[in-house]
Amino acid sequence: MNKKTIISTTEDIIDNLKVLAIEKETVRRKLVLTANKLALTAEKLAITAEEKEVVRKKLATTAKEKEEVRRKLAVTAAKLALTAEKLALSAKEKESVRRRLVVTAAQLASTAEKLAATAKEKENVRKKLAVTAAKLAITAEKLAVTAAKLAITAEKLASTAKEKETVRRKLALTAAKLAITAEERENARRKLVVIAKEKENVRQKLVITAKEKELVRQKLVITAKKLKVAYKTMEQKVIDRTKSLEMVRAKEEAILMSIGDGLIATDENGVIILINKTAQQLLDKKSKEMIGKIFTEVVEMHDMKDTVLSADKHPISIALIEKRIVTTSAGSLYYERKNKTKLPLAIVATPVILDNKVIGAIKVFRDVTYEREIDKAKTEFVSLASHQLRTPLSAVNWYAEMLLAGDAGELNNKQKKYLDEVYKSNQRMVELVNALLDVSCLELGTFVIEPESTDILKLAHSVINEQQQEISRRKIVFSESINDTTPLIKADPKLLRMILQNILSNSIKYTQIGGKVSLSIAPEDTSNIIIKISDNGYGIPKNQQDKIFTKLFRADNVRDKDTDGTGLGLYIVKSVVENSGGKIWFKSSIDEKTKGTTFYVRLPINGDWK
Amino acid sequence: MYLYKKNGLELISFDPNKVQPYKTILIVEDEKSLREAIVDILHTKNFLSLEAKNGKEGVRVALSKHPDLILLDLIMPEMDGMIALKKIREDSWGATVPIIILTNLSATDEEFMNSTTAQKDTLYLIKSDWKIHDIVKKIGEVLRISNT
Repeated sequence: MNKKTIISTTEDIIDNLKVLAIEKETVRRKLVLTANKLALTAEKLAITAEEKEVVRKKLATTAKEKEEVRRKLAVTAAKLALTAEKLALSAKEKESVRRRLVVTAAQLASTAEKLAATAKEKENVRKKLAVTAAKLAITAEKLAVTAAKLAITAEKLASTAKEKETVRRKLALTAAKLAITAEERENARRKLVVIAKEKENVRQKLVITAKEKELVRQKLVITAKKLKVAYKTMEQKVIDRTKSLEMVRAKEEAILMSIGDGLIATDENGVIILINKTAQQLLDKKSKEMIGKIFTEVVEMHDMKDTVLSADKHPISIALIEKRIVTTSAGSLYYERKNKTKLPLAIVATPVILDNKVIGAIKVFRDVTYEREIDKAKTEFVSLASHQLRTPLSAVNWYAEMLLAGDAGELNNKQKKYLDEVYKSNQRMVELVNALLDVSCLELGTFVIEPESTDILKLAHSVINEQQQEISRRKIVFSESINDTTPLIKADPKLLRMILQNILSNSIKYTQIGGKVSLSIAPEDTSNIIIKISDNGYGIPKNQQDKIFTKLFRADNVRDKDTDGTGLGLYIVKSVVENSGGKIWFKSSIDEKTKGTTFYVRLPINGDWK
Repeated sequence: MYLYKKNGLELISFDPNKVQPYKTILIVEDEKSLREAIVDILHTKNFLSLEAKNGKEGVRVALSKHPDLILLDLIMPEMDGMIALKKIREDSWGATVPIIILTNLSATDEEFMNSTTAQKDTLYLIKSDWKIHDIVKKIGEVLRISNT
């Protein structure tokens, strides 16, 4: 093989190797593709496996629930079996009773038969008695014969009577002698007749008098008739008048009775004289249980601490004693019904005054259960929202914070920057949630306000300190002029802090880098202090100045510059200031020469915090 | 020196010379992520930790292990923090143990404020308003105060 051949062979080999290399590269690429596809498939399988796991967990949960249901069913079945046994037992008892009844029935049947036999025997006896009676009739006839015999004996006795007549005549003689005595008696009688005649004279005189009396009587009868007629007319008039008065009264009573709120009227001693239908329904008491009784004795009221109200604390008692209208806030008092349920009430008790004298009182009340439920639901929503919204925010906060602090190892600059954004955004979310919660609390009136003697100077310094970092960051020229003679003011420190913190942070936030912000606090007069916070910042456009205290409003010119800010701060501040009996206002300009904003807050020293 | 982490599943070694004496903090918190964050940060600051997932467990652990300080959440299942607080305070040891209420319940909630006013000495921190490092600082402060 010469050199040329070797070269050409070598070139061939090189060519072949190149071809092989290209083929290998092709194969390798195919393999890479295949590997990628496999990786994709593996991922999909992993996802499917996760889904399966989820399904498996759900099935496990379902299985548990089924097991629970099965157990409950088993318990129910056991109870049913017990019931069945009890039923079987009672069936047996019933059977034995039934058998005893059958035996008793048989005994009764035999007794009935015996009674029938006795009846037959009685019939026989009766027949025998009839025979005996016939025999007795015969005996009676015999007795009649005996009677005739006795008559004969009587005649004999009559002859004996004649002898007795003789004896009688002798007795008549004796009587004549007695007649002489009778004449003497006649004399006496005549004297009596004379007396009788005198009596007759007297009687005739009396008759005359009687006639006169009769005349008088007849006159009286005429008068009486006239009176009767007059009386009847009168009576008719009275009936007519009474009827019309009753109509008026019934109408008035019907009006009172039909009022949709509960109504109870008492006299000056607190004795109930009227109770309308709604009141009867609300108190679950009938009119007859109440009328004529002293209100405080039949209606027991409780305050929110469950203490029974003493008689003199009842709104109606206060109205009667102090001669003023008493209004209770919804649900501050409640009545316990017979069934122990509570009935929260809103009450208005009014004294009834006639000729400057209290003659009674009227109490109007209504059920505020529904209003209270709504209030409760609102409060519950706020506390739930505060808790639920803040929990994930706290977790993000804390973990981001730990990562940023390097607790889990050092981060590179880019990682730090990104995480810082996460942290800041989350921080803004926290602020937004807090502001929203403040707003709902203010609007619902569930803010707990605890006014105390507060040193506003100390508070202002603490707020300024908090803002110091932001002041330096924005290179703000900050000046303060806090008058040492500013007195302590009666205010809720946490709300006062809210006012200062919101306005000051706004001033700093909405002033260009290197701008000026100043704060001054001084007494205005003996009863007020003035807080003034000024800046030479962006200002508020004139056409939007009337909206800045509106909830969620943000002015256009700051919206472009800064995405931070909730649009709630000034809304909250205004509510708080006005709730404390104070006033807030501002001056602002966006003119290049005069640009900036000044906020003024006037607060009463003896704050009237609501 | 060892310390149990995450319900005793993991052991972490500690340099006993760093902190003397070791303080044990009981964290009563139903939210796992928050509980673990606090446990982690406490461990890096050489505190020992005990955990409870609800008020009931919290009372049991507190009264049996006598931690040096308790971090107590309010809204929890089984038994809420207010009841747990009351139960711990009823115990002769628990009457004086420092307790920090660490909650997300708004402090303006009337009902809860009324019940906590009786415990004015108890610290009330809103979780979302507090940095986790500041919470640890606060724990340090409270423990120093309660030591003197």
